[in-house]
Amino acid sequence: MKYGSSYRKTTLAGYVFLAPAIFFYSLFFGFPVIFSLIVSTKRWNMLIPLSKARAVGFFHYKYLLNNELFMHSLLNTLMYSLITVSISLTIALILAVLINNAKFSILWRFIYFTPVVTPQVAIGTIWGYLYRPNNGLLNSILKLFGLKPVYWLTDPNVVLFSVMITAIWAGIGGSMLILTAGLKNIPQDYYDAAKIDGAGPFKQFWYITVPLLKPTLLFLTATGMIGAWQVFDLPFIMGRNAPIKSIMTVSWYVYETAFQSLRMGRASAGAFLLFCVIFSVTLIILWIFRRGGIEGYE
Amino acid sequence: MSKNKKSRKLLEFIRYFVIIFGAFWMILPFFWLFSASLMTPEELLADIPKWLPAKPQWSNYVEVLKRIPLLIYYKNSFIVAGTVTLLVIITSSLAGYSFAKLRFPGRKLLFRFVLSTMMFPVFIFLIPVYYLMKLFGWLDNYLSLIVPFAVSGYGIFLMRQFVMTIPDELLDSARMDGASEFRIYISIILPLLKPVIATLAILTFIGQWNSFLWPLIVTTSAQHLMTLPVGISRLSLAFSTTETQHLILAALVYQVIPMVIVFLYLQRYYIKGFVLSGFGNI
Repeated sequence: MKYGSSYRKTTLAGYVFLAPAIFFYSLFFGFPVIFSLIVSTKRWNMLIPLSKARAVGFFHYKYLLNNELFMHSLLNTLMYSLITVSISLTIALILAVLINNAKFSILWRFIYFTPVVTPQVAIGTIWGYLYRPNNGLLNSILKLFGLKPVYWLTDPNVVLFSVMITAIWAGIGGSMLILTAGLKNIPQDYYDAAKIDGAGPFKQFWYITVPLLKPTLLFLTATGMIGAWQVFDLPFIMGRNAPIKSIMTVSWYVYETAFQSLRMGRASAGAFLLFCVIFSVTLIILWIFRRGGIEGYE
Repeated sequence: MSKNKKSRKLLEFIRYFVIIFGAFWMILPFFWLFSASLMTPEELLADIPKWLPAKPQWSNYVEVLKRIPLLIYYKNSFIVAGTVTLLVIITSSLAGYSFAKLRFPGRKLLFRFVLSTMMFPVFIFLIPVYYLMKLFGWLDNYLSLIVPFAVSGYGIFLMRQFVMTIPDELLDSARMDGASEFRIYISIILPLLKPVIATLAILTFIGQWNSFLWPLIVTTSAQHLMTLPVGISRLSLAFSTTETQHLILAALVYQVIPMVIVFLYLQRYYIKGFVLSGFGNI
């Protein structure tokens, strides 16, 4: 109540300035969430009015949890999110430390960051060429070492890993940049003190850098997981020629069910199951976050 | 002492080896794309993959423009990304100012709500928003690609954080002089927001330029609205015959180059927003 008489004026202005956002959120957030929940209990193809659609209760949820393809897509997405997030974060952490204070650090950061601004569709297509079985660059490198060619994008046991390699490649730069910003916040005194005590670079990394970057690392894990669970572009672009079970992700399943098969009810149920997963993953990470404590360095 | 020096030298060597080895793999796909986009179809399909074209086929870049409506994709992408960026800046700065500096009941709750919206997966919104677009009759025009992205939770958050750093005294003295809140927003807040507006603009623009899923859904029934990512993903399906492979690669160069240049040029702003997005909403 700092403003006294101007308080009422700012109240009105506060709401007026928020009006576009409030209107937007009711239309494109509030309505969709409720609408989706209703749709998930109906059999609806969007061609008839929703009121005429047959109500089926929780049938879609039960169906999905017993559906082989959906469970495969859930499993694929679980693997994808765990492996890509952990590996790309590890590589990003190592590189961020190596590049910090290195010669030409701006140049290195730019090189590693370029894939982040490149459209995923383009990345998927380019890697699709590199992964070609007969005349792709990767197999020709394998051949150089006398290894057998790998069917990167068609072998059901390999395709998910190929997509993960591409995703890791594309994601390193982003995490690296945020970790670099975190590194710059660590006071140099800590390292100086450690050096006087005779700690080598590995000890410094393990006992100073890693603990002090913990909040950043946990944050990147959380956002990385939320993003990875929704992955669509790369598997969709790169997995076209693979057996569908080996590469389909939950988001792809939802897209396919809704906009190719026009089963809106089933797709909405799938989207809500995905939401439940993401919500629990976030809660678990937040829990680890609080439990582990965040060492401040201010 | 000399042993210590030696091991330090070795460590430095390993350090730069790892950095350069990684950088090589980061550049390789881009290098290959550019090189292969200048090859003939025969070279592309050669049994032993080539690193460089025997003779650069610059004509690929002309031919691809003749064969596919790349310029229309460009125009669509530009209109959509540009308009969304403009709208996001307006709505975010208004809401950000309101959340940061104006006092009204429900302010904290509304702000928490805005933050929590960022956690919902887009897949919950696809069907209802598509249904709305159909209801409004927007599926055959740009509105369906633009309006659902006009407000950004991240944008509001970013603006609020920045407006909070503006001293209250500045606004109070303007109020004393009888300036309305809107006047303050236009002549004090907006000019001070310039750097963060640049940051939000470039983040939003690149995000929209690269966006794939929503345009894919909307433009299957409205091909004249296809944006670059959708158009090019279609291309690799339609052109999968061997004699047109090289055109896909030229088209990809057309898609990738502008964003890399924009990024190079405005790196500073982009990186700031990117890092803020990483620290801000813990």
